[in-house]
Amino acid sequence: MTRLLELRGVSKSFGGLRAVDDLSFAVEEGHIVGLIGPNGAGKSTVFNLITGVYRPDAGQVLWRGREITGAAPHAVAALGIRRTFQTIRLFGEMTVFENVRAGIHLRARQRWWQGVLGLPAQRREEERLAAETRAVLARLGLADVADKPATGLPYGLQRRVELARTLVAGPALIILDEPAAGLNEAESAALNETIFGIRDQGITVLLVEHDMNVVMNVTDHIVVINFGRKIAEGNAGAIRADPAVVEAYLGRAGDEEAAP
Amino acid sequence: MSATRMGLAGGLAWLLCLAIPALAGSAWVAIFATFAIYAITALSEDIILGRAGIYDMGHAVYLGIGAYATAILNTAFGWPILATIPAAILAAALAGGLLSAPLIRLRGDYLLVATIGFNAIFILVMQNDPGGITGGSDGIAGIDVPALFGWQLASQNALFWLDWGVLGLALLLMRNLDRCEFGRALRYIKQDQLAAATLGVDTRRVKTLAFALGAGLAGLAGSLFAVQLSSVSPSSFVFTESVTLFAIVIVGGPGSIPGVLLGAALMFVVPEIFRDFAQYRYFVFGIAMIAVMVLRPQGLWPRRRAA
Repeated sequence: MTRLLELRGVSKSFGGLRAVDDLSFAVEEGHIVGLIGPNGAGKSTVFNLITGVYRPDAGQVLWRGREITGAAPHAVAALGIRRTFQTIRLFGEMTVFENVRAGIHLRARQRWWQGVLGLPAQRREEERLAAETRAVLARLGLADVADKPATGLPYGLQRRVELARTLVAGPALIILDEPAAGLNEAESAALNETIFGIRDQGITVLLVEHDMNVVMNVTDHIVVINFGRKIAEGNAGAIRADPAVVEAYLGRAGDEEAAP
Repeated sequence: MSATRMGLAGGLAWLLCLAIPALAGSAWVAIFATFAIYAITALSEDIILGRAGIYDMGHAVYLGIGAYATAILNTAFGWPILATIPAAILAAALAGGLLSAPLIRLRGDYLLVATIGFNAIFILVMQNDPGGITGGSDGIAGIDVPALFGWQLASQNALFWLDWGVLGLALLLMRNLDRCEFGRALRYIKQDQLAAATLGVDTRRVKTLAFALGAGLAGLAGSLFAVQLSSVSPSSFVFTESVTLFAIVIVGGPGSIPGVLLGAALMFVVPEIFRDFAQYRYFVFGIAMIAVMVLRPQGLWPRRRAA
């Protein structure tokens, strides 16, 4: 197993708040890794530190053993890392097709002046990339809505469009930020299959999720954090039995459900 | 209407306009020549403001740099007009790129104020006649007419066709921008900069490039402007001109080629139809700006939306 992504002692503070505190974990290639923790535990901050949205105050982020700490988001994308967002971020004035087409941006070889001049090689590339986009839309069952405005779709479909936008790039790692949020039960169950499908394409998956059904059933490895610190790490069975996890996360979630 | 048919209709309208000198009097030829120059300038502002969503409130600077480049190279250095045009484009594009590069990461409202600063400085420098080359407040007069293969484009009609020929090229460029990766990247950035960056768009580079490209196209229009008036002076490139260009894009329809052309026509052609009211140009346009923002915030002729 090779370590695709590794965090070593990564910390990030906002003002006086330590959002991520000396966090270390690794994502093995081909795995589905879950990052869980109570609300406000710093999960989304971890994603933002990996994808270059934030720069860590301390520690290192490594990609295939090479340090990428503090690389700009577009440079991180160029390594083959793609992400979705907790609150879906589709381009509101664009169709489903145009949104998914955006995911293929880095595969376009054309220079800006070739595009402005509309040269033949550029036109051919446009057609090729559009065809690839349509193929991904068909594979994810989005062909029928390809020409609809993306943000007018039901929530579950919008999530799928955002996922298609990451998949079309052919990434090495996909980071999913609460992919089950806002999905109904049937959609949430289908999501498990979708995530396995991604892994079977040879894409490594790192996901943040509250939905325990998703986390426990699909992940090979789970990292639990609370107050920005790692409190446990292991497979689903070990995490379920870990008293620190039960107290910090599972137990508390149970309390909330029991409350009137 | 599909994009192809829109393009065909636009091409036909452009061809029809080429016949204006044969159909209308010289006053109209002058009006439509001016329209063509400002339409190119408005389209260039649209690259920056309408497509990339960068609040450029100093766009008259790049029109001015192009105009002054042609005026200075022609009158002081004796360059033929056509030879000054690439220099005008390059000078404006360089200025746009270099001025915007360090500031492009600023938030929209901050950048807007910075671009107003560019405009104020530009006017001040032109008025102060650095090295005796800009002619101070009076500007530079006596600019030649262009010569093409030995033909002097001296007549008003010849200049009209030159302006409309360049407008045609600018329109083709804008159409291509809609169909290429660079043009799409601008729209990704405008709609969601963070999402664009995580898809691999180098937002700083693309925005700076958009600024340089928009400035370069404005520089080309500036060249035509200098030739049209055969003189340049700072008063043509003041802050209110930048505001007008900004408003044309917003009122017409950001990112919409017909919208921007409509906006430019409202500002530069419609007032001439109501000649007696021409001095109310800004009044009428001001009312239009308010009405459009309230009733039709996406612009008079918005960009074609998804079906």
